[in-house]
Amino acid sequence: MNCRLCEREAVKELCPYHEKARQEVEAAYPLWKEAYGGIGWGEYLSRIIRHPETGQWAVEAARLMKDLSEGRTTRTSP
Amino acid sequence: MSAGSLAAGYTLVVCEKPDAARRVAEALSEAAPSTVSVGGVSAYSFSRAGRRYVVCAAQGHLYDVSDPFAERSVYPVFEVEWFPHDQVEKGAAAASRRIHAIETLAKNASRFVNACDYDAEGETIGFNILRYGCGGAEKAALRARFSTLTREELVDAFERVEKPERQALAMAGRARHVIDFLWGVNLSRMLSQSALTAARRYQTISIGRVQGPTLGFVADREVEIRTFVPRPYWTVRAEFEKDGRRVVANYHTERVYRKVEVDRIKEDCAGHEGRVEEVERSVFSLPPAPPFNIGDLQKEAYRHLRISPSRTLQAAERLYLDALISYPRTNSQRIPPSIGYRRIIKSISELKEYSMAGELLRGELRPVQGTKDDTAHPAIYPTGEKPRRALGHPEAGVYDLVVRRFISAFAPPAKEESTAMAIAVDGHRFKLGGRKTLEPGWLRYRGRYAEKDEADLPPLKEGDRLTLLALHDEEKSEAHPQRYNQSSLLEKMERENLGTKATRAETISTLVARGYVHGESLVASDLGLSVVEVMRRHAPSILSTGLTREVEERLERIERGADDDKSLIRETVRKISEQLGSLQASEGPVGRELSSAAQATARDQSVIGACPVCKTGSLRIVRSRKTRKRFVGCTNYAQGCRASAPLPQRGSLKAANKVCERCSWPVVYVRTGRYPWKLCVNPSCPAKGARGN
Repeated sequence: MNCRLCEREAVKELCPYHEKARQEVEAAYPLWKEAYGGIGWGEYLSRIIRHPETGQWAVEAARLMKDLSEGRTTRTSP
Repeated sequence: MSAGSLAAGYTLVVCEKPDAARRVAEALSEAAPSTVSVGGVSAYSFSRAGRRYVVCAAQGHLYDVSDPFAERSVYPVFEVEWFPHDQVEKGAAAASRRIHAIETLAKNASRFVNACDYDAEGETIGFNILRYGCGGAEKAALRARFSTLTREELVDAFERVEKPERQALAMAGRARHVIDFLWGVNLSRMLSQSALTAARRYQTISIGRVQGPTLGFVADREVEIRTFVPRPYWTVRAEFEKDGRRVVANYHTERVYRKVEVDRIKEDCAGHEGRVEEVERSVFSLPPAPPFNIGDLQKEAYRHLRISPSRTLQAAERLYLDALISYPRTNSQRIPPSIGYRRIIKSISELKEYSMAGELLRGELRPVQGTKDDTAHPAIYPTGEKPRRALGHPEAGVYDLVVRRFISAFAPPAKEESTAMAIAVDGHRFKLGGRKTLEPGWLRYRGRYAEKDEADLPPLKEGDRLTLLALHDEEKSEAHPQRYNQSSLLEKMERENLGTKATRAETISTLVARGYVHGESLVASDLGLSVVEVMRRHAPSILSTGLTREVEERLERIERGADDDKSLIRETVRKISEQLGSLQASEGPVGRELSSAAQATARDQSVIGACPVCKTGSLRIVRSRKTRKRFVGCTNYAQGCRASAPLPQRGSLKAANKVCERCSWPVVYVRTGRYPWKLCVNPSCPAKGARGN
């Protein structure tokens, strides 16, 4: 099975690179919440997607997570 | 003069390069040497002290390690032999002519001198020529050792020629070639063949003992960058005033990670004055750096002049062959007094741009020496000979770096003063620091390479009170780690003891040539990432710095005569067999992964910029299936974008990563000769016809 975000082989849904990126996105959320004294999951994702320093795979993972959270399908905010 | 006219019984001197042979002949000959032509290859004949000499030259390696199989897809390969270079690489006719010339000249020689560069590579080149080209003369041959091609040193070296006690350096050099060939040929053939089977399209996918870990560094950094999520932080600056002078200080923790804390700092400080709590001034001495070894020279040339490590090495070798600098492939940062400090500095100071070096002659000459040493050669130093021709790029820059680093090593230390201050405002501390040069010392001799980072501070003392004018905060975020460039990657390889001083730059060039990395900041391609991934899963030891470090340590022991080359080669064969077994078990998936990554990389590398017509697609170089001609087309062709442009059919093309100022179409570099030229791909560009577009 291919990764949902690229043509590499997926472990579960994502390839190891996008999975690592997804974990980094989740791990950075508490730091952003603390920095701004509270920030919503959706707002956080929008900001890191636009941020020029965010890595390409992290942006792709964040877009997927945003779509999932907005569509309220399988994933909710941590 | 032909070889047949030479009477038998001469000494045949073998040099590594034609220019070195000419210099040796000119230095040793009592009159002008005669040129002997053997099948179009020049050698030099002359007499010295009643002895007749003929000097001939190789052109790098004339013999290479290879396997006896003609078929390049065969693996595993554990039987290797040394073959003439032209039998291993197609089109190497020049090597064939040189071997023939050496064989002809060796027939009538009664004595042999190996005068190749004195290091493991030079020793290997000389050993192989004497063994295979001179009928097994390697055992009886004498060795001439020198670090510069100046007349004095060459005469001295040939007066001291001797038979080496053992040939450990050559054994180590030959073992390195065999081991690297075995790792490279087996794994590369396996990877290339598996990709060919999967995609029915051949592409060389190589990996090697040094290439593997080096690619691993770039790939790991790439993953870090692409998965990076920045963390926000704030900086807080206070602006004070004292006696009409503005003073700016930063909050004592450079990064404040919570906005609420920033607001609290600003609230607490508002309306209060600042008080200087601490002033610390210190004067310190900054000694000059030691003379260059090759790694230091490559790093500095990249840092100051943006010359890649491989080009720096080539330029340094040309300067060595012109007898302008000493042998560059050295690890040493030390120069012994025997090189003649005073003579060299006096001679250099006669050149207008280095005239200030004459001041150094007034005192005792004692250079700063580094910690790294090399048993074969000292650090790189200028010989003091004046350039006979105007030096071009990049030789001129490399020469200037070497000269300035050398003379500054004899200069006194620079004296600098640093000041650190702390200003308190209602329990919060702000700090500022400055630095100024009191005595420039050696910095004067470094010219434009001396880095000055000076900031003079106002004359404040403890207890002084300052008016707080304003507090500024700025939201920032952590930056992703820096990509390696050629210089920092070379430095990393050096730190990890990967490869040798002679091969590191070439390894980096190979990574670029294979399409594993690209750009000035080295970006790992999909193919580069996949090769690392595959290796990490199936043959992890090829990526491990442990394996290569162990090999380097054993090779060093072999050089000292404390280890056996044959046992190291046996051990290598055993390790390769293990790794190949694991890779072969997954040949199908490995092949599919690599071929799909190779295609993705080829697609990425064909993109030259954004499409100015549809604004959403990218323009890429494509080849017509019908005519096989290349042209520019849009990736949105299927969606209806018809942007296209013709391209020159000859030469290499590379995206310039910029757009034309006149029409916004991408610009490419076209290289048909030595220098590339820029081309705006738009056939209707209004600037068409003007140079530089």
